Parts: sequence; structure tokens; C-alpha cells
Amino acid sequence: MTDDPAAKSDAADLVRPYVITRGRGHPTREGLDLVSLVIALPGDESPHILDPESTRLLALCRGGILSVAEVAGHLALPIGVVKVLLSDLMDTGLVATRRPIPAAELPKTRLLQEVLDGLARL
Amino acid sequence: MNFVQDPALWYGVAGTCAAAVYVARSRITVRDLRERNRLLAEDVRMRDEEIDNVVRVLLPALIETGDRIRGSLLRHEQLRGTPYAQGIETVVGMFTTAVEDARDRADHSAKNALKAAMRTLQALAGEQQVAISDMQNNYVDAQLLQDLLAIDHMNSQFGRRAQVIAALCGGWTGRQRAAAPLYDVMRGAKGRIRDYLRVEIRMQSNVAVIGRAVEPVALAVAELLDNAASYSPPHTTVEINFQTVPNGVCVMVDDAGVGMHEEARQSAARFLGATEPVGITRLGHPPQFGFPVIGMLAAQYGFTVSVDTRSPYGGMRAVVMLPSELLTTAVDADPAPAAAPRRVARVSRAAVAEAEPVAAAPAAAPAAASAPAAGAAAPDGELPQRRRRAPRPVERTQAAAPTETPDRSDAETAGLMGAFLRGTRSGRVPETDDKGQESR
Repeated sequence: MTDDPAAKSDAADLVRPYVITRGRGHPTREGLDLVSLVIALPGDESPHILDPESTRLLALCRGGILSVAEVAGHLALPIGVVKVLLSDLMDTGLVATRRPIPAAELPKTRLLQEVLDGLARL
Repeated sequence: MNFVQDPALWYGVAGTCAAAVYVARSRITVRDLRERNRLLAEDVRMRDEEIDNVVRVLLPALIETGDRIRGSLLRHEQLRGTPYAQGIETVVGMFTTAVEDARDRADHSAKNALKAAMRTLQALAGEQQVAISDMQNNYVDAQLLQDLLAIDHMNSQFGRRAQVIAALCGGWTGRQRAAAPLYDVMRGAKGRIRDYLRVEIRMQSNVAVIGRAVEPVALAVAELLDNAASYSPPHTTVEINFQTVPNGVCVMVDDAGVGMHEEARQSAARFLGATEPVGITRLGHPPQFGFPVIGMLAAQYGFTVSVDTRSPYGGMRAVVMLPSELLTTAVDADPAPAAAPRRVARVSRAAVAEAEPVAAAPAAAPAAASAPAAGAAAPDGELPQRRRRAPRPVERTQAAAPTETPDRSDAETAGLMGAFLRGTRSGRVPETDDKGQESR
């Protein structure tokens, strides 16, 4: 968490990522990427026995929407591991994800189109 | 006149008596001498046997086991106390000392050599782990991650082997750590064995293990888990349970194997109860490191391990008793928004405490503001840091994820789709306002 490499690896190398994901590198859900937004769904988590990482992930997202990259940053876990955990939580219905706001990309395309048209008229 | 008065007769009688006495005496003498001779021969035979015993039995046994001979050195107890017996005792004693010295010297130099070699290997395993962690952080490809996880697992096992041998040689068990939750210590232990997927930690606990004891406990439990997993069928699970007891916490490792036979159990108990360092040369061929190293770590760090109970699943139950001196209150039990890797909790309790009461969205602000002040909570290097946005109603409808939660009624789905459409439309409204009606 700091620039001190020993300190950074201290927490991480006691519980290794493969233990957290139970050896899985592939998330059960496709389509998660760095900017996917994670939303904690209202629901009772008590029937599920969650690992501390999943519990922390849920608590993080209960506070508001975060991207996958941010979740990974906060949990100090590799992105791929967070994707596996997220997929599991999606499977148990505790979390949903969505693509980043698509509207933000629309003007870009249109702008490009306009530029293209403008160029074509030259 | 009769022959009575014949002096010749008296001489004859006296002569005969003397001869008889002489014969009788010499008979006795001969008998005595024979007896004495017999005793002496017997004595010589006994002494021959004794020296034979020393040469053929006692000294070879000493050389073989290196253990001081228990019980009598003599075959013939009647020799006890004689200078001869004392001589034998002295010889055997000197030989024992010589063997022990040689063994200690050999053990010492073997340990030093192994310790140095293991330190190198441990350092390499550590470096490799850092490299693997970096790769895990740098690449997002799932297949690559899958492979890295496998390599990571192998590296952990490799590191553990080096650690075990180093610990047995009185070396370094690994880096000093911060206090860690007992659950994490157990997961740390689990990750170091081959069959870690068979290990299930049945409960969580709110206690933590103090920094000094984290590695030794993890290492000892890893050895127990490895043992449990190796001696139980491959499809069965190995369970870890915790039990709070008046002066600490017991960790129970249960397997569904066949249990240990009596001899193995006794040998294990001897190693587990050992108070002095175990000689590296006495671990058998191939050397069995497990129980000796557990016993050593337990004695060194003040916890106890026993394997004398049967598991309810039919196999063995190993119990690790962690006294309260090795425990502390959980460092990371609170999954508060500061979400904080445990270093933050340790370094800046104030920051965490400040962030805790405000668990809702605005919490990000104080947490973000106060944590860097403590110099420890800046998130991982290049990863983007951004303020959290407050939840908006449209998100609550779950509209964005209709496919992720399949068991919904049609009406619900329709409602969600409607909400989704309304949401996207409302998202696009400002755009149409800006640019006029062209995009509709």
C-alpha cells in the first residue's frame, strides 16, 4: 500500500490469490472489464459464507458505485482475482455490474462523423 | 609278648594314618584346585563373553543409533563392581561420548550448510513470489492469470519446503509480519500444501495472531494439513475448526483418513513433545521433517500441538493450542469502507476510526482525505483513484443487469426493461438538447 515493497507484499503474500479464488483464474461471467461498474444489490448476505475479501468488496460497494479497477485498488488484489470474486458474488445475487455510461461515448462518434463529413466536403 | 609291642607295627599304623591324612588332604586340595580352576575358567568365559558383547553388540548399537545405551552394560551381573566391569563401563562411556561428539559436530555442520542453502532458496522463493505478484497485477488476461496462479501455488509449496528445513536447522522461518487474523493465517497455511483445495476452514474467528507467531503457526499448521491430506483419501476434505478455550484458541485439523498406527502416533508424540533441537541426522531415510519441525516451532514459540485424538470422521485430529499470549484482537475484522488493507488499520487507526462511523457513500471523502495524511493508504501505484459516486435511483432498479439475475417473473423483467429504457433515454436527453433534434 505504500512504496515500501516489503510492506506492500506483507499482507498479500500470506494469503495468496489462488487461495482466495480457489485456484480459478477465469471468472464465471464474461464481459467484466476494468471500467465495469460494480453495484451492491440490496440483499441478505448472511446465508452465504463469504471470504473476508468478498465481505470487504461488498462493504466497499455498499458505499457507492465503484469500477472494477477501483475495487481492485482498494482491496489490493489483482484485477483478475477481483473479477473472479465479482462473478461469484453476481452468481449469488449480491452484486450486479454494468457497462460504464454509454451516452458518454455517443458524442464522440458523432463528432468523428462530423469531422469525417467535413473532411469529405473539402 | 605280642605284636602290640612291636614298634614296627606302630610305625606302620602311624605311617598309614599319615598317608591317609595326606591322601585325604591332597584329595581336598585337588578338589579345591579343580573347583578354583573351574571358577577361574568360568570367570574367563564370562569376561570373554562380556568383551564379545561390547564388541559385537554394544558398540555397533551405539554406532547405529547414536543413542546412549539404556540399561545394564553387563551380561553377567556377578561381574558388577569388579575392575573389569568398571573398565567396560569406561570404554563404552568414552565411545558413547566420542560418537555423540562426532554426531553433534556432523549435525551442526550439516545444519549450518542446510541453513545457508535454505536461506538462499527462501530468498529466491520470496523474490519469485514478488515477481509472480507483479505479473498478476500487471496482466488481466484470464488464461495468463490461471497459469500464474498455478505457478504461484507451486512457488508457495517450494518456499514452504525450504522454510521447514531452515526452521529445523534453527534458521529463519520467514519475514517478520504484522499481526494477522487467525483465519488468514489458516488460509496462508492452506495455500502452502499441494491439496489445498481439499482444505476447508469451517468458521471464521475474530482473533488475530501476533506478528511474531504468524509464520511459525502457519508453517506448523501447513505441515499438519499436508500430513492430513496425504493420509486421507483424495476425495475427502480436511477440515479446520476453531474452539475458544479459557486460555487461548484451539485449532482443530480433522481428516477422514485411517488414522495413525500406534507406533507412528508415539513417534509423532515424541517429536511434538521434544524440548531440545532434533538432530537432522536422526530423521530417517528419507528424512521426515513434519512432526520434528512442528514440535520445534511449538516449543520455540510457545504453542502446543497434539495428535492423540481421533477425528469424528474416523481419521486423525490434530489440535494446535494457541495460548492467549500469541493472540490479539482482530486487526482486520472490520470491513469498513476504508477497506483498508490491514496495514492501514495498523498504521493509522485514527484514519480508520474516522472513516468507520460514516459507512455510506460520503465516507470515501474522509477516508481518502485522512489516509494519505497517515502516509499509508495511497492505493496501489498506478491504479486509478476516484471518488465514489452516490447511488442514483436508476441504479437501484437493477435495470442494467437484467441478464445477471435470471430468476425474475416476466412482469419484473418488463418493469426492469422499462426502467432501463427510461434510464437510457434520460441519459441521452441533454445530448439532444445540445445538438437539436438530429440524433433522435
